Amino acid sequence: MAGVLTTTAPERTRVDGAPPGAPARRSADRVRAFRATPFTYATLIVVAAILTTPIVFAVSIALSSDATVSNATFTVIPREFHWENFSRVFGSELPMGRFLINSVIISVCSVAGQVLSSGLVGYAFARLRAPGKDALFLVVLATMMVPAQITMIPQFILFRELGWVNTFLPLIVPNFFSNAFNIFLVRQFVTRLPSQLDEAAMVDGLGFFGIYRRIMFPMLRPVLIAIGIFTLTYTWGEFMGPLIYLNDESKMPLALGVQYITTTSTPGQPPPWNLVMVGSILLAVPMVIVYYLGQKHLYEMDINGGSAGLR
Amino acid sequence: MALTKRRRREAFWFYLFVSPWVIGFLAFMLGPMIASVYYSLTDWDSFTAPKWVGLHNYTELLTDDPDFWHVLGHTVYYAAISVPLGLVAGLWLANLLNKRIRARKLFRTLIYLPTLVPLVATSMTFMRMLAPSGPLNKALGLLGIQGPAWLVDATWIKPALILMSLWGAGGATVLLLAAMRGIPRELYEAAEVDGAGSTRQFWSITLPHLTPVIFFNLVMGLIAAFQVFTQVYILAPKASNAGAYNGAQTMVPLLFDQAFGTYHMGYASAIAWLLFAVILVFTVIAFRTTRRWVFYETEVK
Repeated sequence: MAGVLTTTAPERTRVDGAPPGAPARRSADRVRAFRATPFTYATLIVVAAILTTPIVFAVSIALSSDATVSNATFTVIPREFHWENFSRVFGSELPMGRFLINSVIISVCSVAGQVLSSGLVGYAFARLRAPGKDALFLVVLATMMVPAQITMIPQFILFRELGWVNTFLPLIVPNFFSNAFNIFLVRQFVTRLPSQLDEAAMVDGLGFFGIYRRIMFPMLRPVLIAIGIFTLTYTWGEFMGPLIYLNDESKMPLALGVQYITTTSTPGQPPPWNLVMVGSILLAVPMVIVYYLGQKHLYEMDINGGSAGLR
Repeated sequence: MALTKRRRREAFWFYLFVSPWVIGFLAFMLGPMIASVYYSLTDWDSFTAPKWVGLHNYTELLTDDPDFWHVLGHTVYYAAISVPLGLVAGLWLANLLNKRIRARKLFRTLIYLPTLVPLVATSMTFMRMLAPSGPLNKALGLLGIQGPAWLVDATWIKPALILMSLWGAGGATVLLLAAMRGIPRELYEAAEVDGAGSTRQFWSITLPHLTPVIFFNLVMGLIAAFQVFTQVYILAPKASNAGAYNGAQTMVPLLFDQAFGTYHMGYASAIAWLLFAVILVFTVIAFRTTRRWVFYETEVK
């Protein structure tokens, strides 16, 4: 590629005169590309302020009185602090508590399904030998290409035939059959683990399932946590699945419920925006917490680095 | 094939272990795919017997349904603008965060935070952000610009959706920043000695090293953008917002409406396959261009 500066840098004499292998950070940070100017800070502050505005605004709406809602006189910076809105949504006005419980049930079951199935399948693809394995793995990878819309309608027909419409089952059960992306993650992770461990266990007379349960499963912890976080994030925010399968208000998860209450307000009246935003905040906060607690594991997994391998 | 007893036992366990995926693949993927091909060749309301119509659904979509071309146009417009724009914004922010700055972690968190918010909550917030007298139009008013009716006007609903997607540009920023920090520092030192300024260092060192990550994000972003649903469904609902609906309907909301609104299961299945074809074409085009602009380090070794 034209214009690319390439060099076998580690071998040549270091510009800063330090011995090869010494930390380069200090001198390298002085180069122009990394020099921060007041303009850098000004831009970052403006961008951060713009990106934070919707969040502050959502909080401000959530704390508004009903009068402010009907006049739509919201301000970005909160002027009033009706904290009782956060308890109102759990009262008789709205079934937000029900929505929340439904979300938790669906998400927890989906995470359990993905973690249990993907670990086992991924381990098998990484370690066990069988005729036809490579061809089967190609099929696994190929399924990543198929957009969900192709299978959406037939799946709906299937679940309707099974009498599963208006239950959580269509949203939960498919997770117990793992998916291509998660299988791929586990397989990549297992191939990087030393194989002496399971070989030794085999010599000791442990069967394949015993090896998986006693030795592999504990070692898969980081990748299974990552899969758990991905599944949780996806299921918690999922909108179209619940929209297709759940009709009763009492069965809706929060993501659908929040949207649902904006469509069912009395004609001529605005939706209860303050309570809708409380719902949106209840939807967002768990994701922020999960990310905060899980980011260490995600970085450990080097998911980011993996993406550079696509060619 | 002659297999030893041990090998046969291992193969047995392999197939037992992968059976969840195999069963799921047959029941939720292969079976439905075949069914979907068949449905797409029928006229079917999912309650009475399907009527075979051959390729009629496809020919009707492509030659006889003006809505379909509008919808395809909106989808391509949305994907072709929101994805590159998001990447440029993400790259620009990552480059700023990669400098020697104080409070990098705080800035990184604030830029990444929007991507953690579920789409439904984001859509609700942007319904108010983009309201006629919402914060955005008030800010534009301060600059002396009369803001449009973002969410009602057929011409402004697509820019509104793109604005909303830009709010999540921080997702790309974090990936790009991680890749930037992996670039050997010695390259910059060498460039410094050669007298290259910061702009030149960015274009000749940083950007080429990032092209694989940019390419990955471009392809994944395009695939996701073609399948946009939630925010379009919420911000431009058919029932209550006809103007926006006409200006922003994309492929998946159309498919959803055909399948679960009017029970045209055959027609909707045909839309699904056409969407797949569109995604495939754009992915292939993206891969075709890689040799011209994606730089892999292994190539210069």
